[in-house]
Amino acid sequence: MREIAVTVNGKVRRRTIKDNELLLDFLRERLEVRSVKAACWRGECGLCTVMLDGHLVKSCLVLAVEADRRDVKTVEGISEDGELAPIQKAFVDHGAAQCGFCTPAWVLATHALLKANPHPTDADLIEATSGLVCRCGTYNQIREAVAEVSEASRPHREVKESIARA
Amino acid sequence: MSFGSPYTTLPDFEYHKPANLEEVLDLLKQYGDDARLMGGGIGLIAFMKERLVSPMHVIDVKEVAEFKQVSEVPGGGISIGAAVTLSELLEGGALKKDYAVLHEALAKVADPMIRRRATLVGNLCEAIPWVDSPPALIALDAVVNIAGPEGRRSVPVGGFIRGPVDIDLSPTEIVTAVEIPHAKKAESAFEKFTGGSEFSLASVAVVLSSGGRNREARVVYGAVNSTPVRSLEVEVAIKDGITPGSVRKAAEIASEKVECVDDVLASAAYRKHLLKVITTKVLRRMMSK
Repeated sequence: MREIAVTVNGKVRRRTIKDNELLLDFLRERLEVRSVKAACWRGECGLCTVMLDGHLVKSCLVLAVEADRRDVKTVEGISEDGELAPIQKAFVDHGAAQCGFCTPAWVLATHALLKANPHPTDADLIEATSGLVCRCGTYNQIREAVAEVSEASRPHREVKESIARA
Repeated sequence: MSFGSPYTTLPDFEYHKPANLEEVLDLLKQYGDDARLMGGGIGLIAFMKERLVSPMHVIDVKEVAEFKQVSEVPGGGISIGAAVTLSELLEGGALKKDYAVLHEALAKVADPMIRRRATLVGNLCEAIPWVDSPPALIALDAVVNIAGPEGRRSVPVGGFIRGPVDIDLSPTEIVTAVEIPHAKKAESAFEKFTGGSEFSLASVAVVLSSGGRNREARVVYGAVNSTPVRSLEVEVAIKDGITPGSVRKAAEIASEKVECVDDVLASAAYRKHLLKVITTKVLRRMMSK
């Protein structure tokens, strides 16, 4: 047993854990961050994806002790000033969730993709999310949601809109 | 708590995070067989969940400064430390130009989130037959640098992998780096066939180098047998150049001469067919470059 301190969505959380505990269990069970889903437990489905020090990782393949004094971000941490992030709004608008079980992971992963690459091609999107599955098959709707956020952030879009309004 | 069922929990162990090689060696000396080294943990955590291994001590080597480096070796070539991840290698650009075969092999390993954690040395040390890095490293003539209580030693990757999940490493030793010699004016490429699964059913790594007049070819197949298979016959077929004729011949020879196994993933006959397909594919791509 040992105490670890992990910054989760901007807040330092201290808990006493066992050395053999997974980051997934630490987040879900000890901190009750339930957006991080436990599904395949073997790094295949990607639904336990979180950001560890700014990079997407699968938390069922990370030890909780490894996150000691590091920064973890889950989907709860991507909204700004209480507003949904653009990709979250786009998921809602495009119906990019059916049962919703995988949605937190997809939102987090596409959010991270759009931050790193504001205008991803279909190939970029497929590659970046190749570690995630959606058994309802909302891939097309997710693609539309990503495309909308990408389009909305193109400089010419604002110009066009202001011309249209004028 | 969801602890309790198999495949979701890990056996009890004590976690160690040594800061330097000396500490790693001390821990290995102290715990030996009861310890397992962990890089990205991709293989180890999966193995522990299935209770294929239940170490009492896990030694995480990610924070060992010496292991985090990709450095140039005097006289040419690069050294890749034991804690360097696949993402770091792919993003770092060290491979793309001179070691394309390794870049191509690593770029298609699992997915970006796994590659963010997985290390090249960890991938290699798993010595699982369908892992993609060994054929590429053997084709590049890479060596494994090992440190242990008796000092340091180096072994070619081909000899380091003795069998499936069997490597030339004692419980008190650790792989510190993989070293790849610089291949002069080398062209190289990698191809694999997974059939939509997550495992390679057959893979091929080709390196063609020309130092002066001597052209040298190295062709290594992965995932078709318990260890990677180098094919001297295929190498001879393409040594004098990749032409439509030599490609056809090399593909025939690969299918005929390279020994394949029957296993749960594919039959030997199917693998023989795949050898023809991937050999043709990789060589045609190199021809059009």
